[in-house]
Amino acid sequence: MVNLNTVLLISSILFAIGIAGVLVRRNALVILMSIELMLNAANLNFIAFARHSGSVSGQAFALLVMGFAAAEVAVGLALVVALYRKRDTVQVDDINLLKG
Amino acid sequence: MEHQLETIGRNMFAIFGVMALCGAAFMVASKSAVHSVLGFLFAMLCVAGCFLSLDAEFLGMAQILVYAGGIVVLFLFVVMLVELSKFKEKGVFQLQTRSAVIAVIVGGVAFLAAFRNLLFGAASPEALVLRPELAQGLAVAQQNAQAVSRGLFSDFLLPFEILSVILLVALVGAVVLAKTERV
Repeated sequence: MVNLNTVLLISSILFAIGIAGVLVRRNALVILMSIELMLNAANLNFIAFARHSGSVSGQAFALLVMGFAAAEVAVGLALVVALYRKRDTVQVDDINLLKG
Repeated sequence: MEHQLETIGRNMFAIFGVMALCGAAFMVASKSAVHSVLGFLFAMLCVAGCFLSLDAEFLGMAQILVYAGGIVVLFLFVVMLVELSKFKEKGVFQLQTRSAVIAVIVGGVAFLAAFRNLLFGAASPEALVLRPELAQGLAVAQQNAQAVSRGLFSDFLLPFEILSVILLVALVGAVVLAKTERV
């Protein structure tokens, strides 16, 4: 059936794509989506190891992670909207108020 | 025909996983924000398929409900609100692309070095089969949702309650952050 290595490989690649999105893109919305992608890669690992170790704790924890991701995306999108109102941009390059 | 269907069923996880990777790559690479959101939706649905093929039925359904039903719609609303076509993107990618690529390569090499034995070694772990104790627990619980809720409300009761408070804080915080200024 499903090999643990396959799950680990796919979730690590998914995590790498998420990191690449955060580091490389300049649109704040895409950066938020990449963070969600990384959380999903972690969830995939949780479920695979839950199945591997024979307990449902991993699945319960993955459910908690999903709830945290929803809370995080709500606050993040509110920040993006507030930023757009104040500075009229969502490009992270243009947000340099803290630059010395 | 039956044989091919059986092969597809056995490799369902890999198929969904590769599709999720394609959706994620499309999300990161596409120039338009709406296309990014659609790629994100596709990736999330494929990850839900991965969850289903790993026998986590409840989580797969929760994934579809939370992501496809909630988060993607939220993203689409914000994309509509911020009117992305107004400012020109100087380029899709940021200036520090070179250092990002170097960081990813270093991370990949470190990952492979750390998990080389696990991934490619002779002593690679056995295939994922349902352990007898879990199978027994599932037989008691009858369904995946019941098993998950047993774990959630016994071992993870405190994190669960903290999560509910955090969701309330996020709700109030989002309203405060996004509300228009007093006139």
